[in-house]
Amino acid sequence: MAENTVSHKSWYDRTYKYQLILSVIALALALGYLAFFYSANGDIIHKDISLTGGTTITVSGANSPEEIQNALRARFPDATARSISNIRTGEQIGFFVESTASAEELKSALEELLGVKLTQENSSVEFTGSALSSSFYKQLRIAVLIAFIGMGLVVFVIFRTPFRSLSIIAAGFADIVMTLALIDILGMQISLAGIVALLMLIGYAVDTDMLLTTRVLRGEGSINSRISGAFKTGITMTLTAIVAIGVSLFFVYGNSETLRQMFTILLIGLGFDIFNTWVTNAALLKWYAEAKRLT
Amino acid sequence: MKWGWRVWALIIALLLSLLAISPSFESGVVVKSIAKDSPLFEQGLRQGAIIKEINRKPILVAEDYADVMNKLFANSTDMRVDVVTKDSKYVVFINQTPDMTVQNVPRTRIKTGLDIQGGARALIEPEQKLTNEQLQDLIAVSNNRLNVFGISDVKIRGVTDLSGNKFMLIEVAGATPSDLQDLISKQGKFEARINNQTVFAGGSEDITSVCRNDASCAGVRGCTPVQGGYACNFAFTIYLSEEAARRHANITRGIDVDLLSGGQYLKANLSLLLDDQLVDELLISRDLKGQVATQISIQGSGNGATQEDALNDARASMHRLQTVLITGSLPYKLKIVKLDTIAPLLGGEFVRTLFLAGSVALLAVGLIILIRYRNIKESLAVLFTSFSELAIILGVAALIGWNLDLPSIAGILATIGTGLDQQIIILDETRRSRELALKARMKRALFVVFSAYATALVSLLPLYWAGAGLFKGFAVTTIIGITAGVLISRPAFADIIKRIEEKS
Repeated sequence: MAENTVSHKSWYDRTYKYQLILSVIALALALGYLAFFYSANGDIIHKDISLTGGTTITVSGANSPEEIQNALRARFPDATARSISNIRTGEQIGFFVESTASAEELKSALEELLGVKLTQENSSVEFTGSALSSSFYKQLRIAVLIAFIGMGLVVFVIFRTPFRSLSIIAAGFADIVMTLALIDILGMQISLAGIVALLMLIGYAVDTDMLLTTRVLRGEGSINSRISGAFKTGITMTLTAIVAIGVSLFFVYGNSETLRQMFTILLIGLGFDIFNTWVTNAALLKWYAEAKRLT
Repeated sequence: MKWGWRVWALIIALLLSLLAISPSFESGVVVKSIAKDSPLFEQGLRQGAIIKEINRKPILVAEDYADVMNKLFANSTDMRVDVVTKDSKYVVFINQTPDMTVQNVPRTRIKTGLDIQGGARALIEPEQKLTNEQLQDLIAVSNNRLNVFGISDVKIRGVTDLSGNKFMLIEVAGATPSDLQDLISKQGKFEARINNQTVFAGGSEDITSVCRNDASCAGVRGCTPVQGGYACNFAFTIYLSEEAARRHANITRGIDVDLLSGGQYLKANLSLLLDDQLVDELLISRDLKGQVATQISIQGSGNGATQEDALNDARASMHRLQTVLITGSLPYKLKIVKLDTIAPLLGGEFVRTLFLAGSVALLAVGLIILIRYRNIKESLAVLFTSFSELAIILGVAALIGWNLDLPSIAGILATIGTGLDQQIIILDETRRSRELALKARMKRALFVVFSAYATALVSLLPLYWAGAGLFKGFAVTTIIGITAGVLISRPAFADIIKRIEEKS
């Protein structure tokens, strides 16, 4: 057991600076992809209709979403349709259609297609004006920015020195950048709720980073044992969160677009957080502690 | 095991929360709204009454009510209907389903938002920038109009976003989006008529201004004791355009003075109509007969048992009249910028799914912790703490009357999630190496917990305003949750774990 720890220790001592290269490459790749994405699409994410403006109509019924989508595409090239199903029976209970068209246009086209009148009882209509949506988007970006700066300030007040604070902030930043890049690669369209999920991610990500920083800088034992102790706690935290969110995602998958997106983004973000906390932040802290000869 | 005060604080908070949620097991249906001119209303049945029985058939749920009504009024003949409520009995003879809506007695005092309950919501933007005062006026005017239409269960509030834009958010449970759209796009048709001839109308610049908040031209002008209490008179001035004043003169010229009123007033009244519904009638002073007057004093009175009641009543009537007169003359147009509706059908299914998801997720977490720490007592302590946090959030939400909407639920999930994370920190800190005293390790764990609290709080605050406050729910539930966590449940959890560890 003792030998194991020693060999693990020396392996980590030898490689931790190289691990940082890995982190830098990963972050550079993510940033590069976002820059590429921005130049190609004019924004760093695909926005869904809650951010661009448009209409969502949810209808109860077992019609095939593919057929409806194909039929609607003739008039609304951007229309998409998806099914909603009952989680316990797997039976389809409804479907929803989205398009940037106005509520009236889309509703009447859908009524024509289905041959029934859409009422409060069998459907729900939501629309958002495009001016409002772009202002929402602008404001949520500001909210994410303020949240990030606020988080940075609080971390700085708690840990006092720039380096320790910066390593936490950098890990949070890397979480968000990598999550965004993967979302773009997967072709997901981000909604208002998705941006809120990114805010939630800041909260989750910072927890483990703070735990690690506190343990490494105020702990007892060798630096490596402090890191591995913190790792045991932190990985339990993250895995618990991943399992809880994964289970919830499974249940709401066919049911609520909003929650599905939030949970998916959180899952992706938590995955990256494992990397950014235990590879990047841990190595940075070890380097810092050894340079300062903290024991 | 002897529990410390921290654990007792958690138990007390938990009990208080359960009390605030207060599950009710009463059967029956509760009257959600009832038309003011319906026979049952005249008999004294009011909103909020709980119906237990109709024509000797027990009414347990809303379906029973619908069944009984469908059978009773299959053909529209007059029927005797005996309604037994929790506290009273009513008998009416009617030939159609009573003009009221009912729903099942709510099981808890937790209020759900529109996206879960079903209904329509509109976010309305005035076409010009409003001051706070103008926004309050707009809300008062809109409330007034929706009341005229007899729409109950409507919530109107002003919202301001991060860039200072002001919106009005209207939520109507159970209404259709087209209802709401009609109402808003109609602009509110206001007319004042004498003998069915229009004297002045809203929107057409007939009323140039209405005096309010200015004691020199609006206010209560004195109170006098009358039989059975007091009466207070109010008066305020409105300004008419030349054209409206001339119309008024032409119409009143041909009307005689009513001698029965002591010769003070004309025989015809000035009727105020909002969207073709009569909202008030005013006497016309004989001095105004045939006069081209651009300044008209509107007078009325309020009554009450005490002078203060009468004064308040007069003020309320004056405010209502002023609002009615302004209603027709909103100086700007309104635009619906967002319209959402959710069918309650999907809503009901959704709550069940959420409940299932939450329970299974919590069980899975309990299992992980059991596997990781191999201690059933500590795993149960984790589950108990998380459950208490959930109960406290719901309890506080019920207490402050917060409507739980989708963002609020997302906030609760996030809070329970971060709460679990912090419990794991505390659990690990206590169980780790024994070199430091237990107290010191606990202190360090709580340091991380407090730091995380501060960062989470700061990162959530912008959400309170962003996006016209539509995500306020997320911020509210999360802030309740993490605050309760850091003040009550985490210290208690630390205490429980400490005691379990000390024993072993």
